[in-house]
Amino acid sequence: MRTRTHVRPERSAVELARREDVAEGQNPVAPKQSPEPGRRAHTRDRLGRFGLFAAPGLLVYLALVLVPIAIATGYSLTDKNPFHPPTRWVGLDNFAGLASDGEFFTALRNTVVVTVIVTVVTNAGGLAIALLLDRRGWLYNALRSVFFVPVVLSAVVVSVIWQAILVDDGLLNSLLKQLGMDHPPGWLSDPSLALYTVSWVIAWQGLGFCVVIYLAGLQGIPQELHEAAEIDGCGPLMRFRHVTWPMLAPAVTINTVMSLIGGFKAYDQVQVLTNGGPGPGTTSTLAFQVIQTAFMGNHIGYASAMAVVMLVVVAAVSVVALRLLQQREVSS
Amino acid sequence: MTRNPMLLRTAALAGAFVLAGCTAGGGGESASSGDKVTLTFLTFETPNLDAKYWDAAIARASKKVPGVTIKKLVSPSADRTGYAKQLDGTGQFPDVMIGLNPAGFAESGKLAAWSDKELAPYAEPHANTYGGKVFQLPYAAQGTFVYYNKKDFAEAGVDAPPRTYRELLDAGAKLKAKGINPFVVGGGGKDSWADMFPLICTVATDVYKGQPDWLSQRSAGKVKFTDRAFVAAARKVAHLADKGYMDRAGLSRSYADTEQAFRDGKGAMYPMGSWFAASADAKKPGFDTGVFAWPTDNGAPALPGVTGGGMTVSSKAPDVALAKKWAKAFMEDEKNLDAAVKSDALIIAIKGYKAPANMGPVYKETAATYAKAQKEDGIVNSFSQETGDGSMPPGLADKAAAGVQKLLSGRMTAREFGAYMDEQWEKATR
Repeated sequence: MRTRTHVRPERSAVELARREDVAEGQNPVAPKQSPEPGRRAHTRDRLGRFGLFAAPGLLVYLALVLVPIAIATGYSLTDKNPFHPPTRWVGLDNFAGLASDGEFFTALRNTVVVTVIVTVVTNAGGLAIALLLDRRGWLYNALRSVFFVPVVLSAVVVSVIWQAILVDDGLLNSLLKQLGMDHPPGWLSDPSLALYTVSWVIAWQGLGFCVVIYLAGLQGIPQELHEAAEIDGCGPLMRFRHVTWPMLAPAVTINTVMSLIGGFKAYDQVQVLTNGGPGPGTTSTLAFQVIQTAFMGNHIGYASAMAVVMLVVVAAVSVVALRLLQQREVSS
Repeated sequence: MTRNPMLLRTAALAGAFVLAGCTAGGGGESASSGDKVTLTFLTFETPNLDAKYWDAAIARASKKVPGVTIKKLVSPSADRTGYAKQLDGTGQFPDVMIGLNPAGFAESGKLAAWSDKELAPYAEPHANTYGGKVFQLPYAAQGTFVYYNKKDFAEAGVDAPPRTYRELLDAGAKLKAKGINPFVVGGGGKDSWADMFPLICTVATDVYKGQPDWLSQRSAGKVKFTDRAFVAAARKVAHLADKGYMDRAGLSRSYADTEQAFRDGKGAMYPMGSWFAASADAKKPGFDTGVFAWPTDNGAPALPGVTGGGMTVSSKAPDVALAKKWAKAFMEDEKNLDAAVKSDALIIAIKGYKAPANMGPVYKETAATYAKAQKEDGIVNSFSQETGDGSMPPGLADKAAAGVQKLLSGRMTAREFGAYMDEQWEKATR
């Protein structure tokens, strides 16, 4: 019978270390000590280096994200109103109030509509434009810049420009009238249209970001895969379905999650284009409702409860979307 | 024990960041050292009241009050009250503020009260009291008027401004018959407040004329928005829109576009605040502009007006006495007042003040109309713009403006509007 001489790699590594210790004159059978001072110092040094580089970012994140979240969560359990001190602890009363608040649910529904439209339009449009611009040449480079311009503009500026285009006697309706339409739509004044109009403006501004991410994804696909598919007799559609689309999975993940978060946070465009109208709450989103409740109505506690619900909804949707999309990435 | 310089450096850097965080915004804080004090002053900028205007006015006041250095804060939008709330929420409440709505700030002790002695130069010292105290210098009045295109009136055969509501309807009918849109309305997007002016006028004539303290009664639960008087006022507005006297297309216009629409001749009448007079005189439209007060049924005057708009001082200012002194110096400086009149067409309520002789015709007619109404005891509160004890709960003015959009577009009846206002009132005061 052959004797098994094979040892597990980790054990052999330990043995190796022991031999090194013996070679350095240490007793191999001495009781086990804590890591030697040199190694401890090395670990501390590495931790110090890590801390040095991570501390500024962590401090900023702590100060600007985590602390405000904690404060808002605390406020959500009170009746805080800056003009009616003292602030009293009300437990979950604010959340119970939200459960029966029609305006809050209208805002939630509007936010979901905006988010869905923004996510679909920016991703579908962004991918289509990226596919068109995935060519070499000065014209395509120039067009990429053109599509990215709205992303770097302030949302307020973009909204003011679109307002001039979309008001009832604005540029778009003037054009439609010249084309023979007697009663062009009230893009911003018709309650049945305004939410879709606002969604369109948000999507238009976010389109450039998606285009850039999809372009980066497209340029990361090895040319050999396309060539191999072509040799196998795949046409353009088949190549897109079996090569491009699966390889774009990481880009789809980034764009979808970013669009979802962007849609849920919609505020500036609503404020400028419609101020939540036309009429009460027609285009009011969660973020808009939070600001209105906090700074117009002075109900800081109640608005904080809305913000906490918003945070939970956005986090849950983002996590679920991320999981699903990452599973798709793996299977792709 | 081995000392680790890397850890120490990291800790030092982190400490520096913490300190930086602690002092962030320190530049926005007031400071007092010896007999010198730095005060933060919250202003707002509009096309009429630009940075140059404020800087010059601040310099003139500071010249009169040695030892004060002013750090100007500019509200990111015209809503300086909302911005002041945000600053207050972050512990940066300004020391001196102009044009702030004191509601809430006053009752919660955040503002310093003005004494009778300090208010002596003011024509209406107790225009806006909170529990008997005055927190805002009542230095100027503004009213809501109807500005009209004299050319359109002449063309439609309307010989004189309407004196009764019936005459107003007749004028509307004549204008419409001539293909002229009677009223320019607006208030889209962030400027939804601008759609309120027709309702401000009808509430003045139909509600406040008979019950000047109607809103205080609403606070006490004695009246409701669904009561006959208020519904009648709302119905007048809805009725004008239904008759086609108000161009509903204007409801998506910004405030600036609404003014431009009147200038461009897209309507004969423009219900608006008296500040429009400054604009009409500074940049004359292609027609002569006239002005009248929205008429009551029987012709008795009922002009919606607000007196106030002046300085408020934080009760936590580093040197309240000096801050008040500077605020009064700013308010009562003749050159500052002249500049305010020219820029914003204010009707100054300080004893002995005379507006510059070279003011334009629209301002002069506006001021004369206001003076006439005042003489006849016809100045009433301005719905949604009230300050003082009988003012709206916070946030309700915005809700009202949103409701008016529906009222004007025919998607809400006057009664429904009243019910909506009652519901919003309950929510705002819970």
